[in-house]
Amino acid sequence: MKKQLSIFNKTVRLVLCLSVMVFTVSCEEAFEFELPEAGSIADLTPPVAAFAYIPDAVNFRTINFNNLSTESTNYIWDFGDGNTSTEKDPSFTFEAGEGTYPVTLTALDANNASTAITVDVVVQDVFVPLPVEILNGDFDGGSSDWKFASFTGGTTNPFNSSSDGSFTNYDGSDNGAKTKGAKWTKATSAGAYLSANTRYAYQAILVSPSIPSERTVRYILEYEYAIKTPAEQAGVAPGGNRIISEVLGAHFADGADAVASEPISQFIATEVLGKTSHTTVEQEFVANGTGEMAIMFYAVTDVDVYIDNVKVYAAD
Amino acid sequence: MNHIKFLVLAITGALLVSCYSDEFLNPLPDSAIVAETFYQTDADVLAGIIGIYDALQGVNENTESSSIRFNRGIQLEYLLTEHRSDNTRSKTLEGSRADFHRYIVEPENIQSEDYYQSMYEIIFRANSVLSYIDNADEPNVAAYRAEAKFLRAYAYFNLVRLYGPVPLVTAVVVADDKESLFTRKPIEEVYTQIVADLQEGVSNLSNGSKSRASRAAAQGLLAKVYLTQPTPNYDGARAMCEAIVGSGEFSLEPNFSDVFYNELNDEVIFSIQYVAGNPDESQGFSSEFTSYRRQGRQDGLNIVNPNLVVDFNTHGGNRTAASFAAFGTDIQLPIPENAEVIKFLPEGSDISDRNNPSYGSSPANAGNDWIVLRLSDILLLHAEALMAGGDTTNNAAIDSYMAVRVRAGFDPVADRPSVLTKNALLLERRVELAFENHRFFDLLRLGVAHDVLSNHANEKGYTSYNIRRLLLPIPAREINLSDGLLTQNPQ
Repeated sequence: MKKQLSIFNKTVRLVLCLSVMVFTVSCEEAFEFELPEAGSIADLTPPVAAFAYIPDAVNFRTINFNNLSTESTNYIWDFGDGNTSTEKDPSFTFEAGEGTYPVTLTALDANNASTAITVDVVVQDVFVPLPVEILNGDFDGGSSDWKFASFTGGTTNPFNSSSDGSFTNYDGSDNGAKTKGAKWTKATSAGAYLSANTRYAYQAILVSPSIPSERTVRYILEYEYAIKTPAEQAGVAPGGNRIISEVLGAHFADGADAVASEPISQFIATEVLGKTSHTTVEQEFVANGTGEMAIMFYAVTDVDVYIDNVKVYAAD
Repeated sequence: MNHIKFLVLAITGALLVSCYSDEFLNPLPDSAIVAETFYQTDADVLAGIIGIYDALQGVNENTESSSIRFNRGIQLEYLLTEHRSDNTRSKTLEGSRADFHRYIVEPENIQSEDYYQSMYEIIFRANSVLSYIDNADEPNVAAYRAEAKFLRAYAYFNLVRLYGPVPLVTAVVVADDKESLFTRKPIEEVYTQIVADLQEGVSNLSNGSKSRASRAAAQGLLAKVYLTQPTPNYDGARAMCEAIVGSGEFSLEPNFSDVFYNELNDEVIFSIQYVAGNPDESQGFSSEFTSYRRQGRQDGLNIVNPNLVVDFNTHGGNRTAASFAAFGTDIQLPIPENAEVIKFLPEGSDISDRNNPSYGSSPANAGNDWIVLRLSDILLLHAEALMAGGDTTNNAAIDSYMAVRVRAGFDPVADRPSVLTKNALLLERRVELAFENHRFFDLLRLGVAHDVLSNHANEKGYTSYNIRRLLLPIPAREINLSDGLLTQNPQ
């Protein structure tokens, strides 16, 4: 019995001892309340807000924002005028137009940690008018690119090709000799001499449109012309020998429609200096609302008249 | 006496605890070679230098397919560069290789991670050799040091252009020095280090080798760095290009195709060499560029985009026939949809029958060298340096530009422009250096990457494209290892 008790005692002591050991080791974890955050690591990388912006190609008031924030999932944009967005890469139109707008981006992560950045966004109209290329503007290619597609009751022949053009090349350099040009005579004149043989030089152009009460786009039609002197050839047409240059507000397939239309701009060239003594005309006009325009030349004259080096470019 | 068993228990416990931290279970074997004992002689240092090139060369995927144990060096670079430009794409949309051309590369992308690690492997090996460089023979030390630094600069130049600010490690550091290993440094600081490393190459290297660093290689790379860094140094770049041309050691190959199939030719300034049929020294990209009769592991990579074919048709000249080819039914199309790159056909290839091409005996272990720098690249960089960010009428710039065009079959007089524009230069680089991993970097350097690539992505319907995609994400594995030190690029 004593021996049994002794064994019992030893066993009890051993078990007690072991239990105490186990408890001291495991208690802490076994009885601790398991928090949802247990075992997780603190987020040491907070969001950093950053962004860039690019103005829209069509409307300068519309700014496309590029979010460059890091370590973030949610975004709050404040465009400075009370408007906000929660998109990642919003586009926003500053209706008030040109100016500087403080835009604030707040970048948040899923723990709701956040940083904000404010950048002064500059909205600027950096409008560049479309360049216009006149095809065969130096008339080296004869009459190509200057014809109407059709001409009811008239001819699509635009002018007589002439070797009595300007001494100046198309790029402005001196050629040292005559270049090719375009010529009108009494037989191809309009006005008092209007006939089925009256010739009109026509070319459709595409310009940057003007936008009412917002933007007026000005272009210049430039060309050189020459009119023979009375010493070179006699005769004066009713109203004087002249070349008429017009800018039309649409594209025309039929020459008859173009001639009947009201031109947006007209210039009458009358300087009489003689064959190959050219005068330069700079005829300014305002682009219409569509940007589809055309230029047209014709003459009313008893003597031979010439034009050369036709160009269209944006004013200033 | 009864307490003995507790004593035994306690001692055993103590032993168990203390064993853990003891190094005696992991002794350093006496026979092992470690860096400290390896670099004893000049030959050992040279072996270390050659080892850096080995990291650059990478291990062929067709030979060793485990992505965990092997780095691919520059063998996957076309995915990170050409695929992310408007030049090429993957034929299939499956797998992580097909993510690059659609601008959906995630931090977990295995090829991006491999490239990142490959570049740091080069940097690690260079730093390691540099710390024992004094064990080499005295007359060789300066050249060895410059060579290691050239390779380190090359790796950093690639990293900073692809990943933005990166950790700048210039010495061997222990693995738990996380601060040094994972702190991203500003781009300007990285470029300062690259320029310093390359200037050492310009001063201390000599010309002669094309498969190892040379003075011309350092000059060429430095010229490109000068033009790429945040504040370009146009005069410096011009001087470097003129030094290479003035050395008289390089000339354009008369026949464009010979640039690629006559290895180490007069036009090559620096190339990474491979040996055909040798599993340890071969490359896998040549086989990946095949598709119609595919030789690689994928359905076809670096497949030529139609809009590049259009540029080739107008500006390629005789380079077109040597750069890409259409196979099968694609031959009938005026603009092939799936043309394949033919600048790197494996040894023994015969593609004369476009319905039945053959690719030699071991296309998967190809030996075509990878050209890093060649003279026409330098000539166009010379023109770019003289343009200084704008258009130019400078005759020297137009001469360099025309030298490249005339070789391609254009007329030196009739095709000579009076004004060299940025767009013309970019277009010329596109067709001259197509598939040589230049296009993406050219777009970045000339400041038009977002314009060109957003249009390209629109056209192709890659809706994931946005301006953030111009930088690759830092590989997730690196961020995980960094304990929160390494930050991610904007996503």
